[in-house]
Amino acid sequence: MTPDILNTIEVILNGLMTGVMYSLVALGFVLIFKASGIFNYAQGVMALFAALTLVGFQTGQIPFSHLINEIFGTHVHNWGPGLNSVLAILLTILVMILFAWLVEKLLLQYLVNQEPIILFMATIGLAFFMEGLGDLMWGADIKTLDVGIPSGGSFWWEDVTRTWVSEGYEYYGMYIDLLDVWAAGIAVLLVTILTLFSQYTKTGRALRAVADDHQAALTVGISLRSIWVIVWSIAGFVALVAGIMWGSKSGVQFSLSLIALKALPVLILGGFTSIPGAIIGGLIIGVGEKLFEFWIGPLVGGATENWFAYVLALFFLMFRPQGLFGERIIERV
Amino acid sequence: MQDTVREDDILLEVRNISLSFGGVTALENISFDIRRGEVRAIIGPNGAGKSSMLNVINGFYHPQEGEIWFDGKLRHHMKPHQVARLGIARTFQNIALFKGMSTLDNLMTGRLINMHANLFSQVAWIGPAQREEIEHRQKVEEIIDFLKIQSIRKTPVGKLPYGMQKRVELGRALAAESKLLLLDEPMAGMNLEEKEDMCRFVLDVNEQFGTTIALIEHDMGVVMDISNRVVVLDYGKKLADSSPDEVRNNPEVIDAYLGVSHD
Repeated sequence: MTPDILNTIEVILNGLMTGVMYSLVALGFVLIFKASGIFNYAQGVMALFAALTLVGFQTGQIPFSHLINEIFGTHVHNWGPGLNSVLAILLTILVMILFAWLVEKLLLQYLVNQEPIILFMATIGLAFFMEGLGDLMWGADIKTLDVGIPSGGSFWWEDVTRTWVSEGYEYYGMYIDLLDVWAAGIAVLLVTILTLFSQYTKTGRALRAVADDHQAALTVGISLRSIWVIVWSIAGFVALVAGIMWGSKSGVQFSLSLIALKALPVLILGGFTSIPGAIIGGLIIGVGEKLFEFWIGPLVGGATENWFAYVLALFFLMFRPQGLFGERIIERV
Repeated sequence: MQDTVREDDILLEVRNISLSFGGVTALENISFDIRRGEVRAIIGPNGAGKSSMLNVINGFYHPQEGEIWFDGKLRHHMKPHQVARLGIARTFQNIALFKGMSTLDNLMTGRLINMHANLFSQVAWIGPAQREEIEHRQKVEEIIDFLKIQSIRKTPVGKLPYGMQKRVELGRALAAESKLLLLDEPMAGMNLEEKEDMCRFVLDVNEQFGTTIALIEHDMGVVMDISNRVVVLDYGKKLADSSPDEVRNNPEVIDAYLGVSHD
């Protein structure tokens, strides 16, 4: 193979890995949208908040320490050396479940049967509130997150691919980040578990039932409110996974909440109601933007990754507004 | 049917139920009871308040006045999912199924209130959750056999013809193994053959499983054939409450159906 082909393969591979990361965020959106028809703008901030909390537990930070110090004139910062990763992750999961419960208790409960736009506005409010809360609890500085996932280039892969090149060319092998590979593996595992759970368990069926028909779900004895807590908990868990992956990659910083915006084109491509759609949409966007940057980027001065996904989504909206896998929009007249 | 009824023979009793929406009165001072093991029909012209009555029993509507006694206990303000857990299952006039799910999954969801495995064991798919799945799957298969819907087990119910959807909805209500089954026009929009099948199923459910059934139906022939007692509503008021034969010959009922005025 010539280096050109190999380079293209490398770009596609990296695109797939990035795509998986987009999918993870989009997945959280789909879960909540399916079950309650709410477009949860706060999904990105949930990922940020989860990552902040995780780092906080890992490093033994005292929450609200800045506020406490201001009020009481103390100088507390840490309560100890911090927890190991597993314990910190478990605690963060508990925090996200508590968060889900609070969202239902303080927000959703009062907004049942409201217009989608009102629910959407509520989640925008929630997003800004959480961003502020995260800042107040854990501070605004950029934090490094390391839960023990290997990172850096894979030398093995570099060695293997170096031998693929045809004779007479100079080629140094493909670069692939181990962290990306791990992220992809974990995402696949997560989606598999979620799919099996929704197919073969009582609660999974209840989730699908609520997504399908609220009235019917009530008559078979499903409590909508407890289902919403479960759905938001799962979305919180997915947000944590996304937060860990993005946080390990580029540090836990407040711009993390903007990955939610990258999930939008993914959702438009894949459809707001389809879990496989979120995955495939993410992969298409990931590969698409990397290839576009690789081929067309040099011609237009680069930085196409910032806008390519949105233009692609716009294109899709014209031809297939329900997305690739979304439920078909049929209007009876 | 005996004339003297013992207190604990009564499964459900509504006492002086009044329901209004804003200024519109849907039900006015309605009282009747449903005895254990009977097929009770609720009939009346369009807009008589039949469906409202079912919605009150089922917890979708909350009457301004009146009491509901179920299984010997006064029932307090309850949400529909709590009523379902109490042992009341229902079907709808315009079918409320989980359209994207298969027949099997719809019925399994109907059994939800009988399943108790906790979330953790479900996620891990261990012990209790796994046992429970298998056990309840068996029960659901029995219902599928009973309703003769083996061929559509895996079909998403949204794709099924209307008559079949009605049957699946009945199956889902049966899966709950409730004490009381509320059927809102189970035969509406069916052809003769489908109607006969449905009648058979309703009677079989009543006889084989001993399930108490309350049903709303427009087809008077059907009502006379399968019900033990009939309550007649008209404009939100109770017009009559007796055996099918008496109701059929009641001049007031005939007038209500034919729209004869009394002056």
